[in-house]
Amino acid sequence: MRKVTLIFIVLSLLVFVGFGKTNVTVWFAGTPEALMEAVDDGLVPAFEKSNPDIKLIVEYIPWGELSTKLTTAFAGGIGPDIFMHGQAAIAGFVENGVIMDIDSLIAKLEDPSDFGGTLGVGIYRGKHYFVPVFGSGRLLAYRADYFAESGLDPDEAPVTWEQLQAFAQAVTVTSAGRMTRAGLDIPVSGIDLQQVWTGFLIANNGALFDDDLNPTFNSPAGVEALEYYVGLIREAKVASEFGLTPVGNLAPIAAGTAAMVFMNNESLAAIKSYSPEAYSQIRLAFPPARYARAGFYSFAGFMVSSSTKNLEATTKALAFLTSKDSLIKINTALGSLPPRQSGAQAEFIANDPDLKMFVEGAKYAYGNPNVPFWVQARDIIARYLERAVMGVMTPKDALDKAAEEVSKLK
Amino acid sequence: MATNRLERRILVTALIFISPVLIYNIIFRIVPIFVSLFLSFTKFSGFGEARLIGLGNYSRIVTDSQFWGAVLRTLQFSVEVLPLNMLISLLLALLVNTGIKGLSIFRAIYYLPVITPMVAASMIWLWLYDPQIGILNFLLSLFNIPPQNFLRSPATALHSIVAMRVWRGVGWNMLIYLAGLQGISKNLYEAASIDGASAFRRFMRITLPLLRPVHMYVLIVGLISTLQSFTEMYVMTGGGPLESTTTVGLLIYRSAFDYMEMGYASAMSFILGIIIMTLSVVSFLWRKEKEVAE
Repeated sequence: MRKVTLIFIVLSLLVFVGFGKTNVTVWFAGTPEALMEAVDDGLVPAFEKSNPDIKLIVEYIPWGELSTKLTTAFAGGIGPDIFMHGQAAIAGFVENGVIMDIDSLIAKLEDPSDFGGTLGVGIYRGKHYFVPVFGSGRLLAYRADYFAESGLDPDEAPVTWEQLQAFAQAVTVTSAGRMTRAGLDIPVSGIDLQQVWTGFLIANNGALFDDDLNPTFNSPAGVEALEYYVGLIREAKVASEFGLTPVGNLAPIAAGTAAMVFMNNESLAAIKSYSPEAYSQIRLAFPPARYARAGFYSFAGFMVSSSTKNLEATTKALAFLTSKDSLIKINTALGSLPPRQSGAQAEFIANDPDLKMFVEGAKYAYGNPNVPFWVQARDIIARYLERAVMGVMTPKDALDKAAEEVSKLK
Repeated sequence: MATNRLERRILVTALIFISPVLIYNIIFRIVPIFVSLFLSFTKFSGFGEARLIGLGNYSRIVTDSQFWGAVLRTLQFSVEVLPLNMLISLLLALLVNTGIKGLSIFRAIYYLPVITPMVAASMIWLWLYDPQIGILNFLLSLFNIPPQNFLRSPATALHSIVAMRVWRGVGWNMLIYLAGLQGISKNLYEAASIDGASAFRRFMRITLPLLRPVHMYVLIVGLISTLQSFTEMYVMTGGGPLESTTTVGLLIYRSAFDYMEMGYASAMSFILGIIIMTLSVVSFLWRKEKEVAE
């Protein structure tokens, strides 16, 4: 009888303690082991120790499933309090009432001024909706050994569009009419194509949209940028019409099937660990310019669900997860670019010349625009860019048709 | 009176036994169908309230060239997969039915792709088709044929997925055909042999006609399945190149989860459902009519 009473008391206490805590659910995007270890073994226990009344429930969602899971979770009324997504998703979530503005929460973050301009990427219609957590950038990577082999100076990267094409032609290798090494590995379809081509558009003083969200990418600057892009593939023949595929888990530049590529920091970090020999031959440079340089940079960050039940606990969790220390831990685990200025002095950046270069390259950064119909617009643009690349449409027709379709989304 | 009570008890017992399946089907099948039907008349992003817009989504579909392009592509996919699948399945079933040694091993080998998850199968075929390390291009190189980018060329991408789908489906249909073959009385073959019928004639006059219900089953189930194809396109090509592998299933997924247009996606689902139902009924009636005529 005494045993039963004891068990009853223990269970009651457990239930009481369990119910006594406020749950805050956080969804991280991506499932790298290092990230999960840093969060589960470091950040969560530290947060719960300093906030014993809050239980932090963290889940990791693969990027590819993120939109699907968020939609179904919110539709079912079980969405997370805080979730991570790319900055380009902000406008869509705002228009659908999924996230709340966090203007009043910004002051509660640790040293908000330390974010510098990166907090601005989360502004939509004048309000903050997003705290950046980690960034990714694209720079031009090239193989020094192939440059030397082709008579180019391995310490001189192309700085103009003309040089980019000329250098790419010099390092392209063809055998029996077949390209065995592409001078430049540029994407020919999908989101990658849209992102890399947009770099050429912006370098040519073009823009995707005007302030009223009307498409402007079919301007003469856009057409010229696409003609140049298509020309690299179809006329100069320095890039593959079908795109290059990785060889096993090696990116084409590491496998030796490409000499140059616009590469992000995560891909370079992967080459460093999987193929140290190839990595030792890779050099980084800022993207070549027409009127300006432009490299695609994007941030993933936290948004707060408008259906969060306990805003005070959610705010505490958000402040903790985006503190200087937490962001350094997260970015160290991912090898990504920290959004805080203090992060640039962090040990993992200081000791890594590549990451330092990516941090420096952020001055040429452009990102996806904050328009509510961005995902559809992006897919339409990518679809028509692909048609131009495949030679099915002229660059002008492709961009005009894309602009016509995108205009209907407004 | 007593009989009535007994009948009622039997009915109650039967209901208790079937209730788990009944409840499951109501919650996970029937209700979602009606909810989806309702959503097809709304503008709904998946968040917040659904707003009724009448037939707006359906009238949009009528002029949506992307949707009708995907419908034609999906039909092309079915038309390519089904005859090949049925033919190879039947040939394999005939082979396995001969009673050769190691029959169970053959059966297991042919059936293996069926139990391979579609995502895993798609990944395997992605590697097989790889222009640099793929075994298919290695085989072509033995004949001095340059590497082909099977999945990146609009001319070959859909056919390449057809090959994968046929490979994955034949094991299941082989079993169905095998069951059909084993249900045909041996006496018929013996009688035909005594009458001097050749093996080919026996196949044409006995096997094929008696397998008609099996053909019908394989055709309709295959039609329903191929018209809903999604995973293989999603994994292997993402619908490209130049939308040459964008099926209706993929388009519905994109509308619902990438563009948050649940209402429009629901309307597309219903149109796809109507197309599948119409084709299934037409094939069934055509078969029935043919049987009556014969």
